[in-house]
Amino acid sequence: MATNSQAFQDLPLEPYEHEYLEPVHHVGFWTCIMISLAMLLPALLLYVIYGVAAPWAGILAGLGLALTYLVPFTIIEPISYYPVYGDAGNYMSMTSGNVANLRLPCAAVAQAVAGVPEGTRLGAVIACIGIAVSVLAGVVGVLCGSLAGGWVTAQFPPWLANAFKVYLLPAVLGAVFGQFALRGPVYALPALIIAGVPLLLGWKAYFIIPVAVFGTLLLGYALFKWKGIAPRGG
Amino acid sequence: MDWKVIANEPWLWVCGFIQAAIGVYQAWYFFRLATRMLAKHGGYAPNQIRSIVRGAVITAIGPVMAEIFVMMALIIAISPAYCWQREGVGVGSVVTELVLLSNAAIGVGQVFGQPSFDIVGFAAAIVVVNLSCTLASLGAAFFTRSLGRARDKLSRGDARLMAVIGVTSSLGVFAFFAASEIKKAGGRELAVLSGALLSVFFFKLADWIKMPRLKEWALGIAMFGGTLIAHLCKS
Repeated sequence: MATNSQAFQDLPLEPYEHEYLEPVHHVGFWTCIMISLAMLLPALLLYVIYGVAAPWAGILAGLGLALTYLVPFTIIEPISYYPVYGDAGNYMSMTSGNVANLRLPCAAVAQAVAGVPEGTRLGAVIACIGIAVSVLAGVVGVLCGSLAGGWVTAQFPPWLANAFKVYLLPAVLGAVFGQFALRGPVYALPALIIAGVPLLLGWKAYFIIPVAVFGTLLLGYALFKWKGIAPRGG
Repeated sequence: MDWKVIANEPWLWVCGFIQAAIGVYQAWYFFRLATRMLAKHGGYAPNQIRSIVRGAVITAIGPVMAEIFVMMALIIAISPAYCWQREGVGVGSVVTELVLLSNAAIGVGQVFGQPSFDIVGFAAAIVVVNLSCTLASLGAAFFTRSLGRARDKLSRGDARLMAVIGVTSSLGVFAFFAASEIKKAGGRELAVLSGALLSVFFFKLADWIKMPRLKEWALGIAMFGGTLIAHLCKS
């Protein structure tokens, strides 16, 4: 296993492209198409079995509102996250969602455990394992949660249930930020400022995410070009 | 028939199982492919791969449990079958789901979560939430290849520049999420800060005491530790 103390050696390009990327794109493409078609089934079955359908005007109005919220994220998220999780990670994340709170942390921990930098071929393969595991764990968890219908969570004392609801997500996001800050401490504070200022100005999230990502990236590029600064392991 | 009964009938459970089966197949196939690649060309031993998997499982526990807690609102508002179809594989965050449901209800002149939400609202929701989420899966199907090409062009094959791109874009994303939670205050800022500090501490500790297995637990400990610290400080 690669460690920080050893010189990092990436996977060879040829087998990575032919034995890994080609099947990833083939299966990724078709599973994404199949899942898109499967998502149309519930509406179809509701109409066929029960004869229930909403008026088209209402559907279009609702769809318009939903897309206003979703379109910017659908464009920005893959571009922003791709350097961390690679091709297979993108196929899985875009079909299973929960990217920031679940997929990326699992990918990042897998890379940290292996001591492999993100943005490399090896990093992408290891992130793929982390994300695949999170998808499998998520499916089992959600199925149990749906079947148990609240029984499991009802066993928790109210203070713990409330602490989970309110504080777990911020703690996850802080922990992942801390982990990446370790990889590039010089960028951590500027990244917070670049993201924090537009937040304080009340900009919309779908404007702030690209500003935060590309602002920090530009800063990193400038430091690399002018001062030769790059993250450890890179 | 009451719409809530329809919303928990086998047809919707079956739809959920079909989606989950595709998602599980995709994840399992990629998992097998990646582990074979690591073993064949990366020189990774089975116990090293197990260690990576263990780290991901430990990290997944917290967020999956949090998801189940929030999911209960959806189970109460609609049905367990609906929850399974939407949250198993196919979309993701319950927050996004609630926004989409509200939008669908508005489209047919109803309010989600109110008694006025009826079978027509449910039918609109089923169409709107599923159709709008095909956007992400279709986007992934058609544009994933282009993402790799764009990154390669940007870095021109320079490994150090590639690392700059990876670390800065990740920090940019998580700086946004962390700053958003800090801005909400009410103890969330404490959770962000303590989560970050605990994560840094445990990852560094693993290097200091030369115990790489600690890294498998670092994020899990940090997220639960951050949650507890925020709760204790605010209560």
